[in-house]
Amino acid sequence: MENNIIKDTFDRIHAEESLKSGTKEFLAVKTAKAHRHRTAQKLLPALICVLLIFMGFGGYKLYFTETSVISIDINPSVELGVNRFNKVISLEGYNEDGRALAASLDIQFMDYENALEKIFSSSDVAEYLSEGEIMSVTVVSCGAGGGQSGNIEEYVRKYTEGSGSTYCYSATQEEVEGAHECGLSYGKYMAFLKLKSLSPDTTPQDVQDMTMREIRDLISSLTDGAASGEITSGGQGNGHGSENSSGNGGHRHGRDENK
Amino acid sequence: MRSEQETNRAIQRYSDTVRRICMIHLKNYADTEDIFQTVFLKYVLSPVSFENEEHERAWFIRVTTNACKDLIKSFFRSRTVSIDELAPQAADMPPDNRHVLEAVLSLPLKYRQAVYLHYYEGYTAPEIGKILRKNVNTVYTLLNRAKQMLREKLGGDAYGE
Repeated sequence: MENNIIKDTFDRIHAEESLKSGTKEFLAVKTAKAHRHRTAQKLLPALICVLLIFMGFGGYKLYFTETSVISIDINPSVELGVNRFNKVISLEGYNEDGRALAASLDIQFMDYENALEKIFSSSDVAEYLSEGEIMSVTVVSCGAGGGQSGNIEEYVRKYTEGSGSTYCYSATQEEVEGAHECGLSYGKYMAFLKLKSLSPDTTPQDVQDMTMREIRDLISSLTDGAASGEITSGGQGNGHGSENSSGNGGHRHGRDENK
Repeated sequence: MRSEQETNRAIQRYSDTVRRICMIHLKNYADTEDIFQTVFLKYVLSPVSFENEEHERAWFIRVTTNACKDLIKSFFRSRTVSIDELAPQAADMPPDNRHVLEAVLSLPLKYRQAVYLHYYEGYTAPEIGKILRKNVNTVYTLLNRAKQMLREKLGGDAYGE
């Protein structure tokens, strides 16, 4: 008996075809399940990522969409973009003085109330107003920001009440849509429109470097000192030019309340 | 997960090896089917990258041996079966081969394992030690004892190294 006979004997043992085919069928079922499971497992993180991206993008868009713009004009013209959460999300100067003022303010992501308080109490603004200038605060509602704009306007009116040199207006985005193309802030653009209605030759460049006091005085002179009450009161007395355009959407330029 | 093509190739190449190891360890065909499914499913799902065919063959031998041992442990198996039930192909073998197969399969499991791995797969005692997780000296002892028993069962003295 040779050792080789053991090898020869085992060589004669083969896996039955039924065993092979049965195993193949079993594996086909198992791997299909595993494949489905793995596909689901692979897709799940991707779906979560997509969801998070959408949520992140949606949240980003929600946060960084302006719902109101506050235009503050003396000679410096600055605009504050406010989001639906009452946070200041942008600050931009619209002339040289405005850009200098914007650069000196650190109000990004502040509540608009704190931001306005900081601006109103800044030494730069105080200095301008002490020189006989007037300050125009125009609140522009963007899209669904109507209620918020009303609140901002109310806050500004209360804060500046009795100052005699601050005028508050409101406007819709449609009314001021050409402002930035002209290089003017919303507030100055509204004053420009009023001036242009009285003096059609006026160009945006004419008013760009004028102070709000100068524009206001010009409008007053063009209305012949009209007794209509528009602008002519000049705001330097006790006028607290608080206006509200809701309803007719127009800009009640400088109609002082003369309290 | 390995492709269907790769799996079919492995089934073609290693089915006989798995079948022989099953025959060494198990006492019925149903268990063999279970082992086939277990071993090849493990292969399909295994991330192991084989260096060469030898490496792959050793993997199949080790995994099949372990699967058989696990199955044996999990059931009470004292039932003895005839060689025809154990290896239906034995019926078609020449008488000498049939006697050898009967003799090998009549040995206790630990000797059957050693005989198969040494005489059929050609592994050395240290290699068998690694596969079966046994001391090399133990493997030498198993092989010597198995040779002695086969000699007693089959006669002759040719089962030397």
